[in-house]
Amino acid sequence: MDNTVKRLLERLVRRIPSRMLKTTLDKWSRLTATQRQSIDYTESKWALTEKLLAICEENELTVKHIAELEMIHVIENPNLGMWHAFQLMDPQGDAHSVELTQFKEQFKSHLSELIRHVSIKIKKHTDEAVWIRIAWGDTFSRPNHLKPTYVVHYLQTPYVFLSSLTSKQKPLLSQALVLSTRYQAIKDANLSGRKLTAIRDLLMKQYLQVFPTKFPSPLAERNRVVSNLHIEKEQAGSAANRHQMACEAFGDGLLPQLQSAVYKLETKFRDHTNKTMTERDEPFRCVVKFASTNLLESLRHSASSGTQKVLKTVIRITIIVFCKEVSYVTITWYVTKSCRILTASLQVSTRGHQSPGRNSHIVMLLH
Amino acid sequence: MVCERKQCASGDRTGTTALSRVTFTGQHCGYPEVGGVVTQQPPKSKTCKRSGCLHRIKYVQKNKEKDSGNMEGAPAKGVLSHLSLLEVKARSRKTQLQQHSRVMELKAKVEALKTQREQLKAQIQTHQDLQKLRLAMDKQCADEEEENMEEESENSKLLRLMARHTQLKDLLHAHHLIGGYDIIKTRKGKGACVSIATAYEDVFLDTFNLEIDLKPTVKISRHNIPPFIPLNNLAEQNNMQTDLRVFLDTLSKHLNAFAGRKQQLKLVKEKHKSVEVMESNVLCSLLVLLFTVPREKTAVLCTLDYTDHTRCLPTRVHLESEDKQLPDSPQWKKNCTLLMETPVHKALITMKKMGSIA
Repeated sequence: MDNTVKRLLERLVRRIPSRMLKTTLDKWSRLTATQRQSIDYTESKWALTEKLLAICEENELTVKHIAELEMIHVIENPNLGMWHAFQLMDPQGDAHSVELTQFKEQFKSHLSELIRHVSIKIKKHTDEAVWIRIAWGDTFSRPNHLKPTYVVHYLQTPYVFLSSLTSKQKPLLSQALVLSTRYQAIKDANLSGRKLTAIRDLLMKQYLQVFPTKFPSPLAERNRVVSNLHIEKEQAGSAANRHQMACEAFGDGLLPQLQSAVYKLETKFRDHTNKTMTERDEPFRCVVKFASTNLLESLRHSASSGTQKVLKTVIRITIIVFCKEVSYVTITWYVTKSCRILTASLQVSTRGHQSPGRNSHIVMLLH
Repeated sequence: MVCERKQCASGDRTGTTALSRVTFTGQHCGYPEVGGVVTQQPPKSKTCKRSGCLHRIKYVQKNKEKDSGNMEGAPAKGVLSHLSLLEVKARSRKTQLQQHSRVMELKAKVEALKTQREQLKAQIQTHQDLQKLRLAMDKQCADEEEENMEEESENSKLLRLMARHTQLKDLLHAHHLIGGYDIIKTRKGKGACVSIATAYEDVFLDTFNLEIDLKPTVKISRHNIPPFIPLNNLAEQNNMQTDLRVFLDTLSKHLNAFAGRKQQLKLVKEKHKSVEVMESNVLCSLLVLLFTVPREKTAVLCTLDYTDHTRCLPTRVHLESEDKQLPDSPQWKKNCTLLMETPVHKALITMKKMGSIA
């Protein structure tokens, strides 16, 4: 049997947890009933791999079929791997009437034109998402199925989610996508995370947002369990107020679990004692990156717990300032009362001066 | 004031007469005491009433202005008695003031209540005038008469404005009740929040919200409208800057139509399990269904194109089948028109009744 098939299958069986293996294989439906029954899922992974290899040889399954199995697994578990969101720009006239078969044909033909050996698999999921698996090869070698790229797109929306794409492959894929969706350009949406569902929910506006309204819906009862009647919390009133404000800004329900958000910032330095920095003509160009296990939840928590300084352990914020005079930057972030504005106090020390100057204020609106 | 000494039954022995405002202090049993200011005649007896008590009661008449009486008692007992006299003086002053201030308080309260009453009366009057004016205005609108442009005083102009304000508020409320959009001011007039409710077949579905900045330019700041509704395009086409109402009307149409189509798809999936949905999309602008003809078990593929995104009905129905004759048969031509004219979930019920599909 082909070496690649063996390796792919081995890797796949290792990745899929035992409890999900049965359902995934059933969905795959490439095995006969007897074959499925003959597999003992309590065996070790190594034994399972051997068994499956034997069955695949029996059925004469090729790499394409194993790739199918991998795709099924990834579609069921989209929250693995690192996903990056991209946005398509400037739709042409017929962008809104692109339908699935048309998109499939166009995409396959465009990508095959750009690169000779490429293996594409397109599948439509029940929630209208179009999943594309691409195994890249080049003019001389066969497609490499061990490092596939996954693309998720919802037709009639301008967003595309990509995972495992190298910089060489990016322009090729971008062009194919742009041409087949009838848009004119594609740009980075600067939103990435491990959970596809989270970034998708955020961009497709499928999470609970709170808006000021004249006829508010009745509040759900929040039954506070009083642990000890003799203990009265002094801060109970103000804590409830803060919680209310945090909910007004972030909503009461589950927030999409973002891991990182990157902002591009242009700001001016404001400190009277430091002339060299304030007298610059051009603004400072910075890239701000927020990183956390659950970004929005940490911000909501910091707002409701009243901490003015957003804890650095909860959110890691790196600012890369593009300026040659700057050698040392520390940032402290503050969440204001409205929870929608983050102010940063940026301490910058210039080359040669050890004492950090006072603060330049960067204000960012959280959407 | 009763003497603190135990079992002494001597009563209050201090008092003033209204006329002379003289304070009496009594010294009894050697214990100085001070009393409150009471209008009372000094008692006639000069001995303690208590049986067996032989204490004599000494009254010192003291005139407040002259203060001459004070001296009589003071040297008799010294500093303590002097102190007690001073204390009495101070207390009497305070209580007088208290009474005085209490009276003033009540008088002020009366005044406040009177002005409040006047205010309320004026409010009632304005309200009644407003009602009359509203009736007249509503009647005017209904009859489409021309408004009389006579010179109006400031008051009546203001009244007219207030009536118009209430008219508009009622209109907005009615608009909300019929499922139109709601708009409220936010951020002290610098912004507005629009809530667009969607409904289909008398059932309220999702509500979509838009927060708009009004100053310096009219701009959408945040919203929860899904990305397949071309919000920015609509804003540009309908010139949101100048004509917000037209933009909101168009947006409302798009959203309601989308909600309607989505609801139709949901009902088809729930109620017609024999019909398979082959393809749909997030905008619900394309629907491909697979029918099975009973008896012959032929499959018919039906494509519904909803190219007009402001409508809940398809613009094109296309039928395909293995049996090439089927789409041209009169029964299926009828089904085609049925699908163009009635919502798909209802059309399917009719088609099932007529036996076209399983």
